[in-house]
Amino acid sequence: MIFLYIGLPLIVAAVLPLVGKVSKKVLPDVLANGVFLFLFAYAVTGARPLLAGGALRQTFTWFGEPLGIQIAVDGFSLFLLTVIALVSACVGLYSISYMEHYGSKANYYALLLMMIVGMNGLVLVTDLFQIYIFMEVAAVASYALVAFGREHAELEAAFKYLMLSVVASAAVLLAIALLFGLTGSLSFAAVGEGLRRLDDKIAAGIASALFLLGFGLKAALVPFHAWLPDAHPSAPAPISAILSGLLIKVSGVYAMTRVFFHVFGLTPALSEVLMWLGAVSIVVAALLALAQKDMKRMLAYSSISQVGYVVLGLGIGTPLGIAGGLFHLLNHAVAKSLLFLNSGSVQQATGTRDLDEMGGLAKRMPITATTNLIGSLSISGVPPLGGFWSKLLIIMALVQARQPALAVIAVLASVLTLWYYLIIQRKAFFGKLNARWAEVKEAPFWMSAATVILAVLCLALGLFFSSVVSTWIQPAADGLAKGMGM
Amino acid sequence: MNSHWLLYLFFAAGLVGIGLYALLTMRNLIKLFIGIEVIGKGVSLALLATGFAKGNILLAQSLVITFIVVEVCLVATALALIVNINRHTKSLDVRKLTQLKG
Amino acid sequence: MALDIALLVGLVLAAALAILAKDLIKAAVALAVSSLLLGIVFFRMSAPFAGVFEISVVAGLITVLFILTIALTKTDGEVQESRTALWIFPIFFIVFIAVDALVMKGLTAKIATLPAGPESGAFGDVLWKQRTFDLVGQLAVILSGVFAVLALFRKRDKDE
Repeated sequence: MIFLYIGLPLIVAAVLPLVGKVSKKVLPDVLANGVFLFLFAYAVTGARPLLAGGALRQTFTWFGEPLGIQIAVDGFSLFLLTVIALVSACVGLYSISYMEHYGSKANYYALLLMMIVGMNGLVLVTDLFQIYIFMEVAAVASYALVAFGREHAELEAAFKYLMLSVVASAAVLLAIALLFGLTGSLSFAAVGEGLRRLDDKIAAGIASALFLLGFGLKAALVPFHAWLPDAHPSAPAPISAILSGLLIKVSGVYAMTRVFFHVFGLTPALSEVLMWLGAVSIVVAALLALAQKDMKRMLAYSSISQVGYVVLGLGIGTPLGIAGGLFHLLNHAVAKSLLFLNSGSVQQATGTRDLDEMGGLAKRMPITATTNLIGSLSISGVPPLGGFWSKLLIIMALVQARQPALAVIAVLASVLTLWYYLIIQRKAFFGKLNARWAEVKEAPFWMSAATVILAVLCLALGLFFSSVVSTWIQPAADGLAKGMGM
Repeated sequence: MNSHWLLYLFFAAGLVGIGLYALLTMRNLIKLFIGIEVIGKGVSLALLATGFAKGNILLAQSLVITFIVVEVCLVATALALIVNINRHTKSLDVRKLTQLKG
Repeated sequence: MALDIALLVGLVLAAALAILAKDLIKAAVALAVSSLLLGIVFFRMSAPFAGVFEISVVAGLITVLFILTIALTKTDGEVQESRTALWIFPIFFIVFIAVDALVMKGLTAKIATLPAGPESGAFGDVLWKQRTFDLVGQLAVILSGVFAVLALFRKRDKDE
């Protein structure tokens, strides 16, 4: 019942506003978190055996008549479904305490669930136009979530985000129209087949340029990154975690990879473009991150940089590179959600995001400080944490593919990453306790619980990396390399 | 049929170009959003014309209807955002939106 | 074909007017006119349902939403659009259209396309039976939009 990934959150979101009339807080908390935990449990236990016989396709019938609903799952989509379920489950737990003071929780969870519907749907579809629809489902919900606090900065960020995101959708849709005109169909397999028969370099080039613009904007790759450092920090912390940890990866990286690998086929030129886009994003965003004073803004720039690593790894196109890219996607999703959640805890405790005003918070918030350190080290690639292994895989793949220049860039940029994460750690948590924060308390139970779970995951991904790679990453990489077999 | 298809695409591209120009130069928030609407018109023209040229008009029609539904939701959200921004700034000028920088 | 081209030219001009008009209400009306023309173009492409949607929803509902927003937003004085932007527009427009025309002309000879599969039956069958998943997506987008608007216009809770 893979369709549950779309259907269940959709139905629960639809009833939540009604439930919210009866019980303002408890029931929405229970229902939404129940959905997240159920989807996660199902992704880990029940869904894997479905794939035993290779990629799975499902069609549905309604009273004996076939319906036009077709979804497909291969290792790659299942991997993404699991990552989405994992991060959203932790974010759901965190929201129980964090969203208390924002009001109208039912509405918040309804929007969050719609974002999950959009992302899950995007991962499961087999048709170009449906990529667009589900991308918009997630996007419309995310505009409202970025602006959820309705303060000036939040509204401004949401508006800028909306403007650029709509341009991205338009570019994607124009590319889809072009491919529809060229090949006369919309499903991945048929369009891919048609493009191979046509073998038309110009038309395929225009379409891939439009896709690159659209998905590049959604994934916030440099030079299409301008909206992200505004939008992600302005949102409430759990939403920043979802946006940075999931949304840019699903509606940017996943959609881009699916289209380029399974519809166009990865040509050497395209692979080169992707690798350089990734490398430029890594370096430029890391340098910009160094200059930030706002904790969440620094994290947002770091997201651009780390997504650069993912795109770089996937762009290599070799099995090792794909595995490295996907593993880094997982590591970054876990660690960056952790860091954004921690920034939320700090902001709630102190009321500021300015790094210069903090200091010595480790004494008052030991759990937050420790988990933050683990997340930072994982993202910057310090052994034996998860991020180290994924960056190592990417760098090895670059050396294997004879791209020494890019390999050097990847290594040097990870030093930069470590540098700016240590700035956060030193300015916010270490050193002498600023007298202003003498009364600061550790984050409430659910917030700490969510961050501890994520920190443990960061450790586990590093310590058990070989089994993680063989059970989760390898099937996903195989799925990417093979195509969906349709 | 190719020449017909490209003729329609020519007009669709014109609409998208006008919309992009508005996004780059306009200062009024509502004007910016009208620019987005113009881009949307170009896209729906491109979609339907493609179906028309391929003889797949029924399919294209259902795509365009879905697109219009998506667009309505987008417009509603964006206009709600604009009304909220206006409550803070008492203006529709995009130059007043300068809190976020760096 | 001549009528179609006339309609399309009118559509582009109305869109340009919507961008350039100083008065917001006039701009919204120009946008509605361009929707109307697009709807007629859709009818002439034998797509009556898309035409009806374009005219009733885009030219009707969205224009109403625009005018509602214009009425709801109170401003301290007009927003001055930059004069250069209005000046440069004709130049930009002519250059853009020329490039556009050259590109499309260049592509005419070069682009090859595959024929699409034949299609038969009624429009309802295509929408309900082939594109059912789109309808699920539409439902999801509508829900997203409704929740978004509810969230943005929610009353301040007491415990905020």
